[in-house]
Amino acid sequence: MAKGKSSEYKKMIDTQYRDLMKHCQVHMEKIEKDLPEPREDFLAVLKERGVSRRDFIKWTSAMTAALMLPPMFRPMVAKAAENFSRLPIIWLHFAECTGCSEAFLRSSYPNVDNILLETISLEYHETLMAASGYQAEQNLEKAVKDFSGKFICVIEGGIPRGLHGKYLTLGPKGKTGIEVAKEVAKKAAAVLCIGTCSSFGGVQAASPNPTDAVSVKKAIGVSTVNIAGCPPNAVNFTGTLLHYLMFGALPALDNLGRPIWAYGKRIHDYCERRPHFDASEFVEEWGDQGALKGWCLYKMGCKGPYTYANCGKVRFNDGISWPIMAGHGCIGCTEADFWDTMAPYEKPLPDKIYGGGEKTVDNIGIALTGVAVAGVAAHAVASGIRHKGE
Amino acid sequence: MEKKFTSEKEWSVAMRINHWAMAISIFILIATGFCIAEPFTIASGETVDKFLMGNIRYAHILFGVFLVFLFLWRIYLAFFSRFHADWKDFFAWTDIKTTIDQIKFYLLIKKEGPEYKTLYGPMQSLAYTGLMFMVFVIVITGLILMGAGYHAGFTAIAYKILRPVEKIMGGLSVVRYVHHIFTWFFILFIVAHIYMAFWYDAILKKGTVSSMISGNIFKKLK
Repeated sequence: MAKGKSSEYKKMIDTQYRDLMKHCQVHMEKIEKDLPEPREDFLAVLKERGVSRRDFIKWTSAMTAALMLPPMFRPMVAKAAENFSRLPIIWLHFAECTGCSEAFLRSSYPNVDNILLETISLEYHETLMAASGYQAEQNLEKAVKDFSGKFICVIEGGIPRGLHGKYLTLGPKGKTGIEVAKEVAKKAAAVLCIGTCSSFGGVQAASPNPTDAVSVKKAIGVSTVNIAGCPPNAVNFTGTLLHYLMFGALPALDNLGRPIWAYGKRIHDYCERRPHFDASEFVEEWGDQGALKGWCLYKMGCKGPYTYANCGKVRFNDGISWPIMAGHGCIGCTEADFWDTMAPYEKPLPDKIYGGGEKTVDNIGIALTGVAVAGVAAHAVASGIRHKGE
Repeated sequence: MEKKFTSEKEWSVAMRINHWAMAISIFILIATGFCIAEPFTIASGETVDKFLMGNIRYAHILFGVFLVFLFLWRIYLAFFSRFHADWKDFFAWTDIKTTIDQIKFYLLIKKEGPEYKTLYGPMQSLAYTGLMFMVFVIVITGLILMGAGYHAGFTAIAYKILRPVEKIMGGLSVVRYVHHIFTWFFILFIVAHIYMAFWYDAILKKGTVSSMISGNIFKKLK
């Protein structure tokens, strides 16, 4: 009975994936017709950069798995990668540190993801382009006009709303961030937010938020795909774009707009130090025996249990390491308003202090319980006197 | 000897079982909860032999789920108990005059408490309404925190329903913090609740403490 059911289930899944495959093939053909020729031959670029065909095939397997697709999609992922530079991209910067761009571009051993991002058809990127002033403005207008409805708008940085958005003005015409974002996002096929600033506001939105900086979604009211993180992993960005190239649609999102394939589980669920958590092996202070043995960083303020991200699985810098592996707890940078909700970063959450004092919620709790016990004791004595002899 | 007191049934069996099951669950949950917030480190031995945190979390989650069902049972009893459905008694505090008299009685200004016909006194009803709210909040936040780590069965369904609540609250970290704060409200409630039970016993001599075991309370014969 159970066997029959599982085979039926398998058949159903098989047909679903076959349909998806057909959809994918049709879409890829359409893209090859619609979008401009790739600027560079991706396979030649890979060869030039010392990535062998074998490495590339390995990468397609990993990416297919990361996108939660079965192995039969590997050729499609490879094809999408070859067509990657067909996709016109306009990259806007608002209130942020450009750290996300830096993280994507400056890896010492570029892997396929990084090379993909380098061959990307960037129509406009304030940090990288040669043009400046009015010329830059012209480039942006031209790109928006030429690829209207086809380009992907990538936004890095939150948008300040204070003083009618005048805390952030850009370019020779002194446009505010809100104006630029509205103009470009209106014509975009999709808006991708890179990093926590554009996704949720980021550091400039931390309390007391003097410039009233908010996420792109809140500032201009468009639905966005949020690739959260400070910085996010290049894999999460390329994966989302590959998904868009393959199926013509954005991946499934969670309730904060993050792709579920990348942000579906918590750091805590994937963590390599998790067994030490369950075994009650915690680092008590920096550099102690536990730290040397690679024990759990929960008591050192790791916010892995409250953070949805795949850092532990895909890791950073060509898969070399990631924060918890390096010995510091997670600070929860993929979550909304993490500057406020995850503080203090090197202590557990209940150690948050109040006001100008050094009082945590536990100090207050103990004090209140003490007062309550003293109060009932005093009340008992007073009652004894008042109701004496009854 | 002349009989001065009569015994009267106050609490049904279901209510008493519910009370003590909740009490035990809450005590275990507070203890294990603090062990999760500030866990011990076991320095000696091999990792593979140890599972203390895992076991503590297991106990916490087990009794947490108990509390969910005990809470649902208590709500059911409040509306559909065949002995005494007491949902109206939770609003005894809406009678302002009695409430003020009751506070005076508690503050030892008056020697006699006011007469009330409801099952709970006015201040008592206020405290229990607060307790119900506290259980509700701690159960909801607890289900969110549990659901974040487990992805099957009852938990998964509860989490799917509660995910928007997590978003409104501002993420798992805020949910966890609220969960922690409410633990302290429970501790404060326990201090007041146990003291008041004994105080009633001492002042009114109605056998308040034993009534939650025997189900009967003493009434003075007039």
